[in-house]
Amino acid sequence: MKRLGFNQKEKTRTMNKIKLLFTAIVMLLVIHVSAKDYYVSDFGAKADGITVNTRTIQGAIDYISEHGGGRLVFGPGNYVTGSIYVKSDVTLHLEYGATILGSTNPFDYVKDPKVKWMSMIFAINQENIGITGKGTINGRGFITANNMMNYIHRGVYKDPLKLDRPNETNRPENIYFRECTNVRITDITLRDPASWNQTYDQCKNLYVDGIYVDSKSYWNNDGIDIVDCDGVILKNSYFDAADDVLCFKSHDANSICQNVVVENCVGRSSANGLKFGTVSRGGFRNFKIKNITIFDTFRSAITFAAVDGGIIENIEVDSVRSINTGNVIFLRIGDRWSKGKKPSMKNITISNVYAEVPIGKPDVGYNYEGPIEDNPRNISPASIVGLPEYRIQDVKLKNIEIVYPGAGNPLYAYRGTSPAELDSIPEMREKYPEFSQWKELPAWGFYVRHADGVEFENVKLVAEKKDYRPSIVIDDVKGATFDNVEFVEPESKGKEQIIQNKSTNVVIK
Amino acid sequence: MKKYKIFIFSLLIIFSLNLSAKDYKASLFGVKSDGTTLNTGSIQYAIDYISENGGGRLVFYVGRYLTGSFYLKPNVTVQLEEGAVLVGFHSVYDYFEVNGTKALILADTVENIGITGKGVIEGNGHAVLKSIEEQIGKGYLDAGQLPAKPALINFNACSNVTLDEIILRDACGDVQVYSRCKKVKINNITVESTSLPDSKGIVISGCNGFTLSDSYFETSGTELSSNNTSKDVSVSGAVNSKGKKIKAAK
Repeated sequence: MKRLGFNQKEKTRTMNKIKLLFTAIVMLLVIHVSAKDYYVSDFGAKADGITVNTRTIQGAIDYISEHGGGRLVFGPGNYVTGSIYVKSDVTLHLEYGATILGSTNPFDYVKDPKVKWMSMIFAINQENIGITGKGTINGRGFITANNMMNYIHRGVYKDPLKLDRPNETNRPENIYFRECTNVRITDITLRDPASWNQTYDQCKNLYVDGIYVDSKSYWNNDGIDIVDCDGVILKNSYFDAADDVLCFKSHDANSICQNVVVENCVGRSSANGLKFGTVSRGGFRNFKIKNITIFDTFRSAITFAAVDGGIIENIEVDSVRSINTGNVIFLRIGDRWSKGKKPSMKNITISNVYAEVPIGKPDVGYNYEGPIEDNPRNISPASIVGLPEYRIQDVKLKNIEIVYPGAGNPLYAYRGTSPAELDSIPEMREKYPEFSQWKELPAWGFYVRHADGVEFENVKLVAEKKDYRPSIVIDDVKGATFDNVEFVEPESKGKEQIIQNKSTNVVIK
Repeated sequence: MKKYKIFIFSLLIIFSLNLSAKDYKASLFGVKSDGTTLNTGSIQYAIDYISENGGGRLVFYVGRYLTGSFYLKPNVTVQLEEGAVLVGFHSVYDYFEVNGTKALILADTVENIGITGKGVIEGNGHAVLKSIEEQIGKGYLDAGQLPAKPALINFNACSNVTLDEIILRDACGDVQVYSRCKKVKINNITVESTSLPDSKGIVISGCNGFTLSDSYFETSGTELSSNNTSKDVSVSGAVNSKGKKIKAAK
């Protein structure tokens, strides 16, 4: 019995050993499968903030991509670089304290022949790539853009200097990825690009999580530009940008930006917060946007523009705080670069919005403040404006509260609500779409024109001071429902707050 | 007769004006002479710009100009004034290759190119070799890369190549490599490359029309290496440090 017991013990021990071995093998396999880490310093990159490491970093990326993939790790320090190309199966991992600094020499950047744009970090036609970690990418774009300006004035770089600045394509972005699949951008901080900031163009499966963006060092600095991508998750990120922040575009008439989730993002802009367009050739479809905060923003918290022949459909926006923004909602169909394509916008739901519009300039004091334009006008209303033949269809606005300053003064700017006066508002089919483009509009709350099927449900519009205009004007609207729409305005007893022109099937509950 | 002379004279002037290509100071393109700024991007942009705008000389005045590989383009001459030093960057990743040979200054299938002036091209051979050996040691570079150490100059299939007066120093690999070039004229240059073994002064193959004159060589490898594939090779007034006349070695 004793012996047997001993044997059993030994058996158990052997079993344990086998288990241990097995576990170890599994762990080794896991480690092997999880991509390898390579330190960029091992390739000779210098984190001294001076050495231009472009070719060393490129050499490291090429090596990793050709040897089974992995992470190129940047330890703490400042790594200067010009244009580099990320290749398949390579992730740039920036540890906390690591900063990739853009070279301030414009000639250290490539204007990629395919995308015809300059960038610090390119990826063209690659898969399984990423930029991760708590480090920073700092384009130092103000200096680079001004250096470029200098070369243009000297005559050694050709650029028309439109608006007295180098063309956007002749200034480097921080990131430009084109036609890439499985892209992860997580945790990083992005600062000071010379042009837009980060463009993901015709990418599939883009995952952006937990990034911090400070992008207001030069003109056209955007937050993020997602162009004609399919399958996007963008969440838990913070953006402060001179130009549009959460910006979706469609550059290609045969592509579409679709299947997109945006969640838990905060943005500040001297242009628009959430924006579709302006370039909108193919269109935008199937978006779920939830829980966004837009503050201190010069133009609109939400702008959807279909002005280049594209479609916008099946868009849900839920839970928006819009504090100190010049405008809240601007939906627009135009006919700018349509080239015969028919623009459309339908099935848009915007719900659970609280917004405050200020009397003053919302972005005062920020670098590259938005331009003071389209004056004179009193505070502009939210607007939903199609074209007579391209109508905005099925827009639902539910649980909305917008607090306006009111105080519209007819001596400063005036637009009346007689049929003749409403008809005189120009269509501005080809004009760049902005909420302020019509100068004075005849309402302080909402202006809706050329739309079919507009529902307002539980909407509260507040004017803090008396305004000469009504709250809502609808013009050429077929089918409108106002269900529990409340107006708060001083000295407005008996004031007709909803004015209709050429509209049918209007139900006010 | 007088009229005829004047005519010829004015023709000559027009001709020479046309030939005297434009000079561009390197600083126009933001090239820095501090010895620490890596100028590759600016130098390459400058060369491309000059070539696309009718050709000319990119002129470097006194100073140290750090750079990685760049390519000469048609009708461009790099003019190194006395005291100007082009310094090769240490990292192996900053060197590109043509025909399997890396070099600091590359040219591939272009014509009317040159490197002139009393300045220096300094290969920084030891530092480059250290970078290569480190990267091989870490396994990031194939050990087969070792023989392909960067030269200072590697021109492939170029014609009308001029080297005049310059001082070439301390290459990691060979100093100059000319393959399948036509009309190469090298005059009055100084080559000093002894810090690493087997650094050849000049390696030519498949060239047609090669002239070397009045030059000084102090090299750890053969001064002038030529296989039988080159035609019309002429060497005169070239000596090594021991005063031996240099002939094309097979």
